Amino acid sequence: MKYFYYLFMLFFVATGCSNNDQQNNGEQKLSNTEAVATKEPVKHGKIQHVDIKPEIDKEMAKQGLRIFDVTCTSCHKYDERYVGPPLGDVTKKRTPEYVMNMILDTENMIEKDDTVKCLLQTYLMKMPNMQVDEKDARSVLEHLREVAQQ
Amino acid sequence: MRKALTFIASGAILTALLFFMIGCPSTDKSVVNDGNQGNAAFVPPGKHDDFYAFMSGGFSGQIGVYGLPSGRLFRVIPVFSQDAEKGYGYAEETKPMFNTSHGFIPWDDLHHLQLSKTKGELDGRWLFANANNTPRVARIDLRTFRTVEVLEIPNTGGNHASPFITENTEYIVSASRFSIPSEYGNSDVPIETYKENFKGALTFIKCDNEKSGAMKLGFQILMPGFNYDLSRAGKDKSHGWFFFTCYNSEQANTMLEVNASQKDKDFIAAVNWKKAEEYLAQGKGKAMKSQYAHNTYDETTHSAKSEILSEVITLDPADCPGMVYFIPTPKSPHGCDVDPTGEYIAGGGKLASVIPVYSFTKIQKAIADKKFDGDFAGIPVLNYAAALHGEVKKPGLGPLHTEFDEKGNAYTSFFVSSEIVKWNVKECKVLDRAPTFYSVGHLLVPGGDCRTPAGKYVVAMNKITKDRYLPTGPELTQSAQLYDISGEKMKLILDFPTIGEPHYAQACPAELLTKNSVKSFKLLENKHPYVALGEKEARVERKGNDVHIYMTSIRSHFMPDNVEGIKLGDIVYFHVTNLEQDWDVPHGFAVKGGADCTELLLMPGETQTMKWIPKATGVYPFYCTDFCSALHQEMQGYIRVSPANSSGELKANTIAKK
Repeated sequence: MKYFYYLFMLFFVATGCSNNDQQNNGEQKLSNTEAVATKEPVKHGKIQHVDIKPEIDKEMAKQGLRIFDVTCTSCHKYDERYVGPPLGDVTKKRTPEYVMNMILDTENMIEKDDTVKCLLQTYLMKMPNMQVDEKDARSVLEHLREVAQQ
Repeated sequence: MRKALTFIASGAILTALLFFMIGCPSTDKSVVNDGNQGNAAFVPPGKHDDFYAFMSGGFSGQIGVYGLPSGRLFRVIPVFSQDAEKGYGYAEETKPMFNTSHGFIPWDDLHHLQLSKTKGELDGRWLFANANNTPRVARIDLRTFRTVEVLEIPNTGGNHASPFITENTEYIVSASRFSIPSEYGNSDVPIETYKENFKGALTFIKCDNEKSGAMKLGFQILMPGFNYDLSRAGKDKSHGWFFFTCYNSEQANTMLEVNASQKDKDFIAAVNWKKAEEYLAQGKGKAMKSQYAHNTYDETTHSAKSEILSEVITLDPADCPGMVYFIPTPKSPHGCDVDPTGEYIAGGGKLASVIPVYSFTKIQKAIADKKFDGDFAGIPVLNYAAALHGEVKKPGLGPLHTEFDEKGNAYTSFFVSSEIVKWNVKECKVLDRAPTFYSVGHLLVPGGDCRTPAGKYVVAMNKITKDRYLPTGPELTQSAQLYDISGEKMKLILDFPTIGEPHYAQACPAELLTKNSVKSFKLLENKHPYVALGEKEARVERKGNDVHIYMTSIRSHFMPDNVEGIKLGDIVYFHVTNLEQDWDVPHGFAVKGGADCTELLLMPGETQTMKWIPKATGVYPFYCTDFCSALHQEMQGYIRVSPANSSGELKANTIAKK
């Protein structure tokens, strides 16, 4: 895990992404709790608040898996880098609102969010807007929460 | 030789006489250069045009979509010809759109366009187009700007007076420009028996105008063997009637240039189609054996299918009194256009020196009072004067087509004298004339055949280009010209090049279409039998010698991108699904070598199939042909073809295998 940390440090230095960004994006603080607890304010994106219950809604997560398979697996795996970053523990690093905004308000996030700007320099591929509706995006979030707990 | 000289001499005298009568039209190109034309047609970078113009691509078989007033070309909609830029007619999914009773026809001649209407106004749903050579009518969905239906028209030679529509899109018509013997009776007859054996079918295609827009053959009226040329539906008060011009009432079958120009007057056939419906309801229709293709494209399966139908219902006008009348019309009539009120019908005679304007009210009165000058094959011929509202005198040479504005004015194109003439419909009085460069054919006013035209512009579609553009070898660009008609005088504001040879064109306000324009096809609604919904479904399957590759594409890779175990003699089907859901992100797909088809183009959410037949062993690269991302050059793969007797298993690097 420490290797990852150094790699990230190196990357930020190399690309000029500031320490500030680094702290804000929380990339280095891989806690074991969901990012919802951090109450990180929503800076960009149209989703301002997502209602999250402590337990996983299994039905919703199942629908989320279906959407994830069709629309996300072309670029994301759970535990390794692919076209985009791994998403197995994304709900531990990012708030639910952040995840929803990446899916639903993609162009806006790419343009404005400092973390996404930095990630773009690593992956060189802008995440496309997959035209997922809000209900389906919510189910994808639930699926990712379930994966993070496993 | 002497005869020929006399003919030429008399032609020259006639032309000179006509010029004397009407005064020479201006051909001085400088008269229109006041330095402001560019401004009036200028649309700044990043701004949108006010109108869509759909212009026939003529012998290209396609439709050009332009913006007005800029004249910028946005898209070529493939209709009756294969089109590599869209992959249309190359992928397995679109090949059936080209099926006819004569087999696969990859190239046709498209003449006229009609935007669908409700209550005589443009409704922005569909665009109809005719194939002239192998008679067909196509429907284009204006949400996707794609051809979704093609219906072949039997018993027809040269589908020219088509696809004109009624004011609620109840019917789309087709008519036989070249009369022919019935195709499925005894059609093997001597050509000189034209008068006895040749018929001109007027076809009424029923449209599901309330819902899907689907077309089916309603009925055919088997008319005497003339050349049926152009048509327009009545509107408002004349709704229920259709008007068709015809020439060659001499019924000549050779050298029509001379032999079909003998009589002073040919006809406009006035058809009461509501009466025809009554006769059909009474069982007067006769079923005739026939053969014609009906091709439909399904947006959810992303695939077309073709079926061959075998029967058509015909009506004989001699058995159906009150259904058809002939109105005498001077000198080889061509256009026949109905004004916005539905009261006036303007006829254009290719050799005429007047524009006759008929009155619908007077036609009805003449019918009621039986003001007939005999009949032709049992069809009553109305007295010319009894049907006539008035004649536009000395309008120009060779009037062809007329469009209208909302202020009671008409705009008629003149091929021979190369000009557009503006005249007042009620008074039949010439108000203005503007030269065209050169020899205008059709013309359009946005909504110019509707109840409420938008008389801001008229576009001339010219038949001759000559010196208007930089030369490009023997073949020059086609040419259109835009005139501002908002004032009293017509003002030329733009020349712009067009594709094919535009015949008719129609335009509509941009906002009528932009709000409905489809941006991508939803993946979860994709019902293609070979779709791969996500990379997890990417796979390879062998069924005998057929190999099916379920492939996905997304920025910027294919899955699978390595396929091995193909054997010589196999037929490989690449079923590629574009997983993108974003607007304006098509992927292309090209494979080296092989035969039958080697390229595809895929819209977001769409599946298309390439039938690829390898001819030699080896490893063949494939790649994305439509620039998609910074890593577009990396979007590639390999397919390996081994000898027929090799034992290698079919395999591919899919997620499922891992």
